[in-house]
Amino acid sequence: MTDTLGTRDDASSAASFNDAMGVGRGDLTGVRHASEDGVKLSLNGVDHTARPTWKLNETVEFYRDILGLPLVHAISARGWGPPGHHDFLHFFFEAGNGATIAFFYYIGSERPERYVPEEHHFYFATHTAWAVETEAELIEWKETLERRGIKVSPYTKHEILESIYFTDPNGYPVEVTRRLRETEQIDEVDAALTMQAAMEVETESRASGRLMPDIDTVWRRKARLVSDYKAGPQ
Amino acid sequence: MIEVHVIDVPEFRPMVETQRNNPDVTITGPDKGYWTLSAPVQIVFSRKEMKMKPAVWYGIFTGGLNGEIAEWGRDEVRVVGTNRPL
Repeated sequence: MTDTLGTRDDASSAASFNDAMGVGRGDLTGVRHASEDGVKLSLNGVDHTARPTWKLNETVEFYRDILGLPLVHAISARGWGPPGHHDFLHFFFEAGNGATIAFFYYIGSERPERYVPEEHHFYFATHTAWAVETEAELIEWKETLERRGIKVSPYTKHEILESIYFTDPNGYPVEVTRRLRETEQIDEVDAALTMQAAMEVETESRASGRLMPDIDTVWRRKARLVSDYKAGPQ
Repeated sequence: MIEVHVIDVPEFRPMVETQRNNPDVTITGPDKGYWTLSAPVQIVFSRKEMKMKPAVWYGIFTGGLNGEIAEWGRDEVRVVGTNRPL
């Protein structure tokens, strides 16, 4: 393996949308695990997230003028790649620590019905969460945005995070959050056991043609796994 | 016998601390990062006593529950023993 792209394929060599975007089959049969080839890939945080917008003016006004995030890059281009791709703008707002939040504006398109925001937790699961370092900064975000006329949620303390939420003019949920403590080794151990319990219950539910019944079932399986873990090697 | 496993971190430690004076509950640990509360009949947790925020309260048994939730409310939860499989 060489360490430059050289003559490796680029986007122009893709024959279809799925090839251009690396769209997989959603099936992991035959896909190898990291432990099998010994290659440890690493990442260095978030570069950007991106969503479509059909409100160019309001999006720029909200992120740049109301939140005050610098507009640091904008691409304007003819549609290229897959057939039918609209001409577009792709623009980026700086969110600190090298991360940006980006949008696509597809020229001459109208928002399809399925992209209309919904007041439902499934929809709100897809969101952007920005980090602040201190309680004072979190308070400053909430109170400043409220003074500017933005509706902001109450403070919500999760296990290791404290957050506020609001939505942008597109209806996209945004979160500002601070870490309440650093995670420890036990957090990783516990996460592994919780997810093992839930994955086992999912497998068993699927095998019997049912949906996972409730979290209590996961908590009972977790109790068994924790007992086994405590009884295992020190 | 009911067993409630409690991860030894600040958010969940009040589950242990508020049972210290309960003669019906046996506390062991922390062992490899988990406390275990056990009791023959029931264990009751009070959200206000533990000063627990709702987002943590609703995940109170994430450490593992060998038992069954008999009553669940915003401020109090009562767990009892169960024969259901773990």
